Amino acid sequence: MERQIINKKKRVFSLEPNKNPSAVFTRKYTSHLVPALKKLNMNKNSSKQTVKHEVDMALALSAQEFAWSRFLLQKLSSSTNPTTTTSSSDGIRILERSDKEGGNKEGEIEEKLRELQKLLPGGEEMNVEEMLSEIGNYIKCLELQTIALKSIVQDST
Amino acid sequence: MLEGLVSQESLSLNSMDMSVLERLKWVQQQQQQLQQVVSQSSNNSPELLQILQFHGSNNDELLQSSFSQFQMLGSGFGPNYNMGFGPPHEAMDECISRTSSCHMEPVDTIEVLLKTGEENRAIALKNKRKPEVKTRGEEKTEKKIKIEAETESSMKGRLNMRNTEASSDTSKETSKGASEIQKLDYIHVRARRGQATDRHSLAERARREKISKKMKYLQDIVPGCNKVTGKAGMLDEIINYVQCLQRQVEFLSMKLAVLNPELELAVEDVSVKQFQAYFTNVVASKQTIMVDVPLFPLDQQGSLDLSAINPNQTTSIEAPSASWETQSQSLYNTSSLGFQY
Repeated sequence: MERQIINKKKRVFSLEPNKNPSAVFTRKYTSHLVPALKKLNMNKNSSKQTVKHEVDMALALSAQEFAWSRFLLQKLSSSTNPTTTTSSSDGIRILERSDKEGGNKEGEIEEKLRELQKLLPGGEEMNVEEMLSEIGNYIKCLELQTIALKSIVQDST
Repeated sequence: MLEGLVSQESLSLNSMDMSVLERLKWVQQQQQQLQQVVSQSSNNSPELLQILQFHGSNNDELLQSSFSQFQMLGSGFGPNYNMGFGPPHEAMDECISRTSSCHMEPVDTIEVLLKTGEENRAIALKNKRKPEVKTRGEEKTEKKIKIEAETESSMKGRLNMRNTEASSDTSKETSKGASEIQKLDYIHVRARRGQATDRHSLAERARREKISKKMKYLQDIVPGCNKVTGKAGMLDEIINYVQCLQRQVEFLSMKLAVLNPELELAVEDVSVKQFQAYFTNVVASKQTIMVDVPLFPLDQQGSLDLSAINPNQTTSIEAPSASWETQSQSLYNTSSLGFQY
């Protein structure tokens, strides 16, 4: 992937730009997000809801090989007010439930799997095996997303 | 280890019928000799190496090779006995001829000696016990490797299939094995001693193993999961981690929304952001936004990125902005020596 040489710029060539999957994801993500933010900026309409929307949209668009991204896209396109992915009350609810259940082992595990399903976009429509593997790459993508967001934010402060 | 197996066999043999005992002891002696011969040959293992290579696996792991050796031993007895009393299937014959080609010398002696169906049945029974008497620890690794071997060449899969045949008595299983040999990718589960070998429990066990394999993968991803044992604890940690990540994203996007009007974003800067994104991980301090969020295992990944950056990454570096200089300039300078054209 070459870019234009301008005066003092140093050009870095890549032999296999698409080999490292986390790099691919990060590249796609930033290339989706930054122009979207710019557009938002121009429209002078940057409420936090729409920025979140753009952030989620960028995530979904950069990870299109995974099942959960499709569900996320659906959610985003269907609703203008995106559902917030989690809230702190969920965590408290989990703790309460596990205290009440006592020694019911199988039930606990089932409950937790269901909680996990709720966290993953589209998790409720998957079976357990699928969900577990999707959770794995969802976590990875979330991590990369936080890194990208951090770098964008840090750059401006 | 083989001697241990043989001694255990002898113990189990003592509980069998007296009428068959003498014959069995005699056969067992033969087997001992055979095993010694095979173990000697496997120590040198030119033939076994051939077999390993022939199976087309490029895996050099010691565990896998030792495991394959055990497979060899198990299969070396199995198909030959099946030939004794079962109707030979064409596919099986093909496999048998390939894999046992190296075993022909020592095994022939056993074939010649065993003529009666009774002996074959007894030996098949013993054979079933012998692979099961293998150390439990190996069974677990076997299963792991077997599950991974799903995606490898079909030859190896056939070999695995034969092992499961050796471990289950019913002819229904063998016919199921023959038909499954045609498929390239299937699940094989070893029935442990005393466990049911019917289809449902096998399938259930296979499913459970898949799930536990995925849980192990998640355990590696989620930091801090190693300390917790048990499914429930791990799931707790995972849920916690996902929630933390999502909260972080939310927080960062709020921050971004606040800062958005002040951002001096230009499209060319996109690449700068990408480049920073790689380095932020390495250069950034250990502080995270959420107090209790542990640093991602991407520490290693970050350094991997850094090492991978030399051949693989591409960015075009603009004249650095002021903020960029302060942060990653030093790092960039050290690594740019490899970059410049």
